[in-house]
Amino acid sequence: MRSAFLTYFRLIAADIRSQLGYPVSFLLETAGAGLIISMYFISLALVFQRFDNIAGWTLGEVAFLYGLIEMGFGTMDMIFSGFDPQFFGQIVRRGGFDKILLRPQSLTLQVLGSSFVIRRLGRILQGVVIFLIALSMVEISWTPVKIIYLPVVFASLVCFFGGFFIIGSTITFWTVESIEVINILTYGGSEMMSYPMHIYQDWMRRFFTFIVPAIFLNYYPALYFLDKPALQELPYFAPFLSPIAGFGVLFFALRFWRFGIRHYQSTGT
Amino acid sequence: MSLLWEVAKLAMQRQLTYRAATLAGLLTNFFFGLLRAAVLVALFGTSQEVAGLTIQGAITYTGLTQAVIAYLSFFGWFEVMDSVYSGEIASALLKPMSYFSFWLGQDLGRALVNFTLRGLTIMGLYALVFDLTVPTHFSQWLALLATLILSWLVSFSWRFLVNLSAFWTPNARGIGRFAFGLTWVLSGFLMPLRFFPEWFIKLCNLTPFPSMINTVVEIYLGVLESHEVIQALLVQGLWVVILVVAAHLILRAGTHRLVIQGG
Repeated sequence: MRSAFLTYFRLIAADIRSQLGYPVSFLLETAGAGLIISMYFISLALVFQRFDNIAGWTLGEVAFLYGLIEMGFGTMDMIFSGFDPQFFGQIVRRGGFDKILLRPQSLTLQVLGSSFVIRRLGRILQGVVIFLIALSMVEISWTPVKIIYLPVVFASLVCFFGGFFIIGSTITFWTVESIEVINILTYGGSEMMSYPMHIYQDWMRRFFTFIVPAIFLNYYPALYFLDKPALQELPYFAPFLSPIAGFGVLFFALRFWRFGIRHYQSTGT
Repeated sequence: MSLLWEVAKLAMQRQLTYRAATLAGLLTNFFFGLLRAAVLVALFGTSQEVAGLTIQGAITYTGLTQAVIAYLSFFGWFEVMDSVYSGEIASALLKPMSYFSFWLGQDLGRALVNFTLRGLTIMGLYALVFDLTVPTHFSQWLALLATLILSWLVSFSWRFLVNLSAFWTPNARGIGRFAFGLTWVLSGFLMPLRFFPEWFIKLCNLTPFPSMINTVVEIYLGVLESHEVIQALLVQGLWVVILVVAAHLILRAGTHRLVIQGG
């Protein structure tokens, strides 16, 4: 096990070194990626001068949600780069997965180690900035429980999104082409989770509660942190289900991944 | 001209083979449209009209903007860049037509297929879910046709121009991503331009970007007076001229220093 992790860290260290080969281009891309994604938030903030709230939430409160999701998704996108369905789909298509299967190391760690896109720091950083803006705009009454629970929600978010990357990659065993529809759950999901969920239609919210448990990772915890009232009666423990939803999705995804590996047929490339 | 059309036809055939990708893109654009509509509806709250835009108009706006993403390759287009790096540009430069027209033809084919299969379909799906605004007068439809063509020309020449940076740097993708990202806000794609503060709208109007999205939206929704429509179309036309001339000048400077690597 120790040697497996050692291999993993060697792999990503090599990948990071190669990405830093062109430092100027790296810095530009990182700053650019962060800036582009903050455009969404900038445009929302500019428009907020005309509307002073969105369904009862102030800009600062939306920024809390937005920053949290961006940090979570960005971190996941960096750690799980190897499982990015677009990247992994290409490996499967070109027969690269056969090579991985031949090596006497954990498959999951090898795939995780195959890529670690540090350019994503740009996205994480803009998430941090938005989150700090939120903290300066909203008066949060911090309690010890809230301070301990915040990193838990963050870790759960990373696992949650990571689970969808793994599921998307596993599907490419059968489809070979990376299926872009999974983007609805990953990129679409993160976009949707950046806003208070009560703005969506009932069917959408139900889907993202009972089928994809996204609501437990953004909306319910945010209600708790910001002391906002829920629109309908919620059980008192609803905000605390984040780890169950987040780690649960990752657990399910890993089971599906194992199932996929057992049924993997090479493209013969 | 007929050569251009031949290139476009080939590009159309190629585009038509990406059936799964088209369907996936369609669903993704539609889903994002639903999200964006929900955000705007929530922002409107109880107000019926904001900055001259009704709630129905705002919903239609999200449909329109999602519908033109594929038509204008709005999220990014790196084909010229890639052909410079792969060396394919060498054979394209030998063709008996200008390099600009060669890509214009390709993009025309791509745009026509995406306009039909993705643009019109998204508007159709939208009409099933929402009560949309539809242009009423014949003159409005005529102006819409003109503005759609012009917006594609502005968009293409901008994308072409951005891609030309590949002549000067070995990794132009970052520049490209940044340049395309800039258009998302300044064109009125993420939010209707008229919702922004006055100073920001003025800033946007100094750039060609509103001519890609905002003009199309405002003409479709019929929020402009007839003299404003003509003015908007003229501005679009002016940007086409400026960007096409710039593209030609920079292309000439670029080909002079082009070194084809490998082969």
